[in-house]
Amino acid sequence: MLKNAFLTLLALAIAIGGGGGSVWYALKTQDGIGAIRIGQWTAFPDIGTQAADPYSKARVAREGVLALGQAEGLSFVAERDSGGEFLKRQCAYEIEGGFPTARFWTLYAADQSLGVVETGKPRPAALQSYQVLRQPDNSVVISVGSRPAPGNWLLCDGVGRMYFVLTFYDTPIASSTGLSDVTLPQIVKVGCNA
Amino acid sequence: MRKLLHAILLGLLGAGIVHVIVLLLVPEFSERDAWSRLAMASDLYRMTKLDAEAGGAPVVKSVDPLFYAAACRFDLSEGMVRVKAPGNVPFWSVSVYDRSGHNIYSFNDHSATGRVLDTIVLTPAQMIEIRKGVPEELQGAIFVEAPIDEGMFVIRSFVPDDSWKPVVSRFLEQGSCELQDY
Repeated sequence: MLKNAFLTLLALAIAIGGGGGSVWYALKTQDGIGAIRIGQWTAFPDIGTQAADPYSKARVAREGVLALGQAEGLSFVAERDSGGEFLKRQCAYEIEGGFPTARFWTLYAADQSLGVVETGKPRPAALQSYQVLRQPDNSVVISVGSRPAPGNWLLCDGVGRMYFVLTFYDTPIASSTGLSDVTLPQIVKVGCNA
Repeated sequence: MRKLLHAILLGLLGAGIVHVIVLLLVPEFSERDAWSRLAMASDLYRMTKLDAEAGGAPVVKSVDPLFYAAACRFDLSEGMVRVKAPGNVPFWSVSVYDRSGHNIYSFNDHSATGRVLDTIVLTPAQMIEIRKGVPEELQGAIFVEAPIDEGMFVIRSFVPDDSWKPVVSRFLEQGSCELQDY
């Protein structure tokens, strides 16, 4: 009798704990279902539309996001560098490569909630395409770190996990057909302040 | 032993069912969605700034730091809503969302006549009504047909650098979101 009750409880505990926990985990990870990965960058082109999968819909409701429409733009988030390690605020990175067609793009260093990181300095931890210097082949090299760097410098400071958010505005890649042959810049770790 | 295995299997099967149910119920019961957050911040037909610059935490998360954004809530069952914002800014884009935050329609300044933001959101039934004779003052407006009652309208505007901040702020502050009589 006691054994039966124990077994029932065990089954219920696995069902409720496992079911709830797996939803929580699925909504928490950056690359969930419906994600498109290009290099280290992840985007959810369908997020916030009626065509979105249930996971995206739950994420939208839980986090209160108002996703960009297709005529507005498309956001990519990176949480790892090209070596596969998590991005850290105490490290310096180099973001280099070509950017796909768009009217303009913005790049910022973000914290866990994807808001811009607070550095306590007047310079924002954000860059946009009208203010960057370009290489002769139209590619862009951006130095990320707490120390000023020549060329394009994206300020970031502090310690802890970091994300890069790269958003293209008024871009043809936001329509699903354009995403297949897009290349995005590499994120290379330069060094860390231990 | 067989009984224990049986219970674990049953538990895993139950976990699958609970997973699906919880997933589908999250949007229904969330009190943290964009509509609820906006409702706490302001009334219907009131333009509210979404970015953190206005003081305190941002109303809606993950607004690009190089953007200013404003939103208003509307209810089409009361009538169609007209959104206007004067001024010349480097880039603006707008989106219409339904009650649960799904993007219904979006466009940017390249789609508008003379890059002026002048839009009317209305239901298909109201559209049929207005097609019979478009009033003179609505000739230049963009009509957005949305099969919804309650919804949200969001304007996003690009701030390339600090010198644009006052201009873009003014653009959003002077934006209006009001019931249109017809």
